[in-house]
Amino acid sequence: MVQQNTQNGWKPIEDEGFWRRIPRRIGVSTLDAGKAAATLLWVLYRTVIGTVRGKRPKGEVLRQMEQVGNKSLLFVTVTIGFLGMVLVFQVCLQIEKITGDMSQVGPEFIKGMVHAFVPSLTAMMLATRVGAGIAAEIGSMMVTEQIDALRMCGVDPIDYLVVPRFIASLVMTLVLSVYATAISILAGALMAYTSYHVNPVMFFVFDKVTPGDAVIGVTKCLAFGAAIPVVSGYCGLTTRGGSEGVGSATTRAVINSSLAVIILDFIISAAGYYLLQSRGL
Amino acid sequence: MIRLEDVTKWYDGRAVLDHVSLHLEPGMLWGLIGPAASGKSVLLKVVCGLIRPDEGRVIVDQRDITKDKESDIMETRRKFGMLFQNNALFDFMTVGENVAFPIYWGSDIEPDRLRSLSVKRLQDVGLSGSEDKVPSELSGGMKKRVGIARATIADPKIVIYDEPTAGLDPVTTSKIYDLLRNLQQRNESTVLAVSSDVQAIRGFVEHIAVIHQGRILYNGPERELDSCADPVVHQFIRGDADGPL
Ligand SMILES: Nc1ncnc2c1ncn2[C@@H]1O[C@H](COP(=O)(O)OP(=O)(O)O)[C@@H](O)[C@H]1O
Ligand SMILES: [Mg+2]
Repeated sequence: MVQQNTQNGWKPIEDEGFWRRIPRRIGVSTLDAGKAAATLLWVLYRTVIGTVRGKRPKGEVLRQMEQVGNKSLLFVTVTIGFLGMVLVFQVCLQIEKITGDMSQVGPEFIKGMVHAFVPSLTAMMLATRVGAGIAAEIGSMMVTEQIDALRMCGVDPIDYLVVPRFIASLVMTLVLSVYATAISILAGALMAYTSYHVNPVMFFVFDKVTPGDAVIGVTKCLAFGAAIPVVSGYCGLTTRGGSEGVGSATTRAVINSSLAVIILDFIISAAGYYLLQSRGL
Repeated sequence: MIRLEDVTKWYDGRAVLDHVSLHLEPGMLWGLIGPAASGKSVLLKVVCGLIRPDEGRVIVDQRDITKDKESDIMETRRKFGMLFQNNALFDFMTVGENVAFPIYWGSDIEPDRLRSLSVKRLQDVGLSGSEDKVPSELSGGMKKRVGIARATIADPKIVIYDEPTAGLDPVTTSKIYDLLRNLQQRNESTVLAVSSDVQAIRGFVEHIAVIHQGRILYNGPERELDSCADPVVHQFIRGDADGPL
């Protein structure tokens, strides 16, 4: 191509190859994305089936619950505690400028925490801590052929590795969120009281929390708790190459599980608003 | 017993296995040699259904496993034991648990019996007393032995060894081949072994194949290998620096 152009007296266009390749690249990427989505859905399907009737190693779910739950406790406490304080402080700061009536800060804060902030913040924290762990563990088993060795022994790697983490994460995201709600309320009450002398009792008034809020909060916890191990397990199981591959699988797991949490958060919030909150539930 | 018909596997636009056809009889000691990255490990994994070929058929005991569902292949895989190139020992288990794993999963053998079977098998491979160690505490040769113990504990009909002696000294190498020979004679199993150590494996197998760039260049009795006319085979078995390789 380039040669012809030169013969005709045209200047060879350096980027011609690049531009020409674009349609093909788009095609290939779309195909790859389609394949990835199909594999992800397959992992989800297999995980759900495995949860219902698969065989899993004894005691593994409890061990994973400890990994997901107990070991995230400090991280969640510190992060949610500080975020709760910052949030309350900012809200009080704004209210002071406008009306100065702080009596509703507590109840509204609790409402927001229950249906919006706590599930997504907790899940984001778990996406980094737990997601990275799952992908690194499964990914390194993948590149050292341990996954193949499992399959040789008649073991389905999804039943053996993903399902226990799935169950643990499902339960523990919910448990940690309840715990995180309590921490955020305590931290918020402390901040409001010390900085603005708001009566701490107002932070234990659950009037504003409707059943709809609770339903949305719990739904989010379950959806996030399910998404993190499935997405990270998928990233681990598609690891290729050596330690470099494990590194990139871990990064992909953190990014993709966080993205999954954000997207699910948006979908569930919107659905929750139209189905429940807008009807006064 | 095992038959491969025109098996082709593509990776990244390259045929890693290129129309491979093979036939293995029960009780055969079959060796596969070839330069690095010629497709040896991929071929072994295709045989036991860990990798699905893109074209061709893999038939194990009259059953075409290329069209089977994963759960059916899982059933066929019970006939196989495999030592992986990197041993692939489970690093979250002890040596004893590793060895017992193929018979532990999906069976209801009591823990005590399981343990005694695994201790027994570790003795057979010359590793008595190591059952409570973890794999990271073992030397390369010991890991291979644990891998061999795990591959053979269920007394499978077909045993696959991917590079059983890679990175080992000559004395350990010949000890490992003695061990493989003893295990094979006891179980009368079919053995597929891959090695880049041409001389050592030639002393072990009866039939040998040479693979290069995914194509089988020679497949026949070990003693006739020297008379193979293919220049690549010739160069590879003599280890010459000059030649088509
Ligand atoms: N999962 C895979 N993805 C991409 N390429 C692969 C994969 N597995 C093997 N290959 C390629 O296939 C070729 C043969 O690999 P292998 O069978 O492991 O070689 P060897 O003969 O040394 O055992 C290599 O070039 C390797 O890069
Ligand atoms: Mg290999």
